[in-house]
Amino acid sequence: MRRVLLAVAALLPLAAGVVLAVLGRAGRLPGERLFLSALPGDWALAAGAALSLLAVVALGTAGLRDRTWRRRLADRVAEAGQDRRLLLSRLDHELKNPLTAMRAATANLAAVADPAQDAAVGTIEEQVLRLSRLTTDLRKIADIESARIDRRPVDLTDLIEEMVDVARDLPGAAEREISVDLPRAPWPLPPVPGDADLLSLAVANLLDNALKYTPPGGRVEVRAREAAGEVLVEVADTGQGIPPDELPQVWEEMYRSPSARAVPGSGLGLPLVRAVVERHGGHVHADSRVGSGTLVRLALPV
Amino acid sequence: MPRILLVDDEAAITDNLAPFLQRSGFEVVVAGDGDAALARVAAGPPDLVVLDVLMPGRDGRSVLRELRQGGSTVPIILLTQVGESLERAMALEEGADDYLNKPFDPHELVARIRAVLRRGTPPAGPSLTGAHRLRSGSLVLDRTSQRVLRDGAELVLTPRATTLLAYLMTHAGETVSRERLLEEVWGWSFHTSTRTVDTRVAELRRAVEAEPGDPQLVVTVPGEGYRFAGPVEAA
Repeated sequence: MRRVLLAVAALLPLAAGVVLAVLGRAGRLPGERLFLSALPGDWALAAGAALSLLAVVALGTAGLRDRTWRRRLADRVAEAGQDRRLLLSRLDHELKNPLTAMRAATANLAAVADPAQDAAVGTIEEQVLRLSRLTTDLRKIADIESARIDRRPVDLTDLIEEMVDVARDLPGAAEREISVDLPRAPWPLPPVPGDADLLSLAVANLLDNALKYTPPGGRVEVRAREAAGEVLVEVADTGQGIPPDELPQVWEEMYRSPSARAVPGSGLGLPLVRAVVERHGGHVHADSRVGSGTLVRLALPV
Repeated sequence: MPRILLVDDEAAITDNLAPFLQRSGFEVVVAGDGDAALARVAAGPPDLVVLDVLMPGRDGRSVLRELRQGGSTVPIILLTQVGESLERAMALEEGADDYLNKPFDPHELVARIRAVLRRGTPPAGPSLTGAHRLRSGSLVLDRTSQRVLRDGAELVLTPRATTLLAYLMTHAGETVSRERLLEEVWGWSFHTSTRTVDTRVAELRRAVEAEPGDPQLVVTVPGEGYRFAGPVEAA
């Protein structure tokens, strides 16, 4: 609608000229000729001005159209996000009661089952627990995306060192070399405004992943530096790597690479990391080569 | 044998939870909705009510309000939805004695029931979980304004540390595992992050303990978790 109006407006001077010309031919306008002299330069100026005017109009129209489309696209994305959150919260809600009933039922079963069925009951208990965790974690990601978060200065140096300490206690950590490189000179990392607990969770998840996918004898490197108003945190490993076509999908909820099926996981670690970092106004990036390893980088605005 | 009133609209839950609670040494009465629950309590109050929040018709919160406004002090454990911290905060403010997120481990429910029964019903006034102000010696926690005072001076704490203190104080004397704190205070079930709890406890100790190196209030129970060791009263 707006475009049509713009086109009409742009054509108005031409239309006016045509009307005046027709009126002139019909003798409705004063018949005597106007002798206006103009130098070739003036004509060129007039032609240039006319062309510029046309171009400006065209650009303006294009800009407007662009903005409209961008707004529509953003609306769509926001709508899709909203839908996804709603779906997650409904799914979470609808799964809760069945899971509660199943946990009570298996607890009853465990109390009366004969020992020959212990393995079966154990499996059911474990899997129900896994499902419970999955729904809780899915919900938590949705919560992080929408809930208000704490914004206090967080000392990433302390936080990273602490999380590395925790990672060194994880099973299998002793067989992998973990090295940490955090700047001290000329100055340490600046504080990042954020939620220390959520940021710890993000770093812990990256370390957990790096250790999980790196074979014994491999290396995990944790680095951080300040660059252009951001703190970049990198966790690199000499693990199995991620094929290029799967790289974008590792940030999606519950995506599990076919080549990573052997490693237990929920497919929620990296999506959680992304949710935390984006909630802090930052962004995430992953680089990987199959057979060499993977690097995940978090950029957090200072 | 303590008598428990179990209120949930899902038969699949009550059918399985009731025998489990019976086997754990409780007498169980089941109500399938809020109105039936109120009728049951009116007919003869049980020793404790396990109350689902989300029910069609009269929901758990409305039952809780009705009971408390009617002057009933029967202990109530609410079954809530995880992550909805607002819902949990309101539940406590309206006078629930504890809450448990669905889906829960039935053994955990039994442990909570026993803990609440052990606390006993205060002769009058709000229970600890419903109190707006909690006091332990010179330490005062004002839950409405989320402020913590020691000897009248305000302490600087992160919101999470304040929530953690509130949880520990309302469960004074109980040993609470890191996993449970993570779930109740943070709303998480990520197993990689129990150290987060230790960090906040350390922050809490620096603020509330006279000697953070030798904590007297928030004590560590080796291999199990944390316990608020000071006496707590509603102020």
